[in-house]
Amino acid sequence: MGADSVVDFDAALIERARKGDSRAFERLYRDHVGRVHGLCLRMTRNPDLAADCAQDAFIKAWKALPRFEARSSFSTWLHRIAVNTVLEKRRGPSNAEIAVEDPTEYEEPVLSFDTPVEEEELEAAIQSLPQGARDALVLCGVYGYEHSEAASMLGIAVGTCKAQLHRARGLLRERLERGVR
Amino acid sequence: MSDQSKRRVTRIDELARSVPPPRDLWPAISAAIEADRVAATTTTTTASARRQSRWLPAIGMAAAVGLVAIGVIIGQNIAPKTQVTAGTQTTSPQGNAELMPAALRDANYRKQRGVLLAEVDKRLAAMPPAEREKVAASLLALRRSISEIEAQLGHDPANALLQELLVNSCQEEMRALTAVRDSGSQEI
Repeated sequence: MGADSVVDFDAALIERARKGDSRAFERLYRDHVGRVHGLCLRMTRNPDLAADCAQDAFIKAWKALPRFEARSSFSTWLHRIAVNTVLEKRRGPSNAEIAVEDPTEYEEPVLSFDTPVEEEELEAAIQSLPQGARDALVLCGVYGYEHSEAASMLGIAVGTCKAQLHRARGLLRERLERGVR
Repeated sequence: MSDQSKRRVTRIDELARSVPPPRDLWPAISAAIEADRVAATTTTTTASARRQSRWLPAIGMAAAVGLVAIGVIIGQNIAPKTQVTAGTQTTSPQGNAELMPAALRDANYRKQRGVLLAEVDKRLAAMPPAEREKVAASLLALRRSISEIEAQLGHDPANALLQELLVNSCQEEMRALTAVRDSGSQEI
């Protein structure tokens, strides 16, 4: 099955969900929840908060479905909502702890990505990055978004996104170097 | 800088993009969707009633005051209490009483809900069939979501998050029932 078939399948489900079919939306949820949650988890570094963000993102998506215009893929649209949700939670007073910029002040949570050891080290190194650099790396490096898309999602300039990604890659190399010595 | 670390950095795009959540988020999402749907249905009903009623200003004000009063009463009854008499009821509003958070076993809440259900039944009976079907389906879906959360709670009774979700969903149900009942009072 090619990418087009997946898109068409999504389109049919979206159309049904728009008409109020919550079963169709549940199917969309099942198909996309892993990626949305993965994105939230990498951005928040907090498993409970990530699950809350993913949940809120799907609720917002349901409410916003009538406004979805298919100019971007459903997946990209959903990720944009998820990123917005994470950013909103960061701005919220009760979640000030996740807005910590200096990773040395932050006690790393133990996250489980169920991956081989080398990937676990890579995930741990990504988690240790400062927030801005990590956001850019997660969106561009892990999820493959263009700078323009990632910048738009994060509400920053494209140049800033490029600079953050460059910084993230440098820091990542340094930290992996330290880890492999 | 070693080649190994450089190679690793280039491997970030190979990391799994999909990371399943630790719990199924659907029951809570489904409950929120159904609550939203019930609210939308009752809003439509209320809007239709508004167009028909020439008593709108007075009835609207009375309904608003009534809603606030009922909200306060329900809030007081649903809010978790430190002193809950254990075993005041043998069955919960929706399912297994042993799994219910304390707030949902509260006798006042259960009484309020019973009264509200009777009023809503009367209101539903007076609705046009198509509208009644729509509202009843939405309420049924909301209760189904509550049942799903209860089922999850059956597997993990100590899960505080699930208990909170259940209380929130039952509060949503009370809000929906109140809205359905009050949609009737505006059509007088």
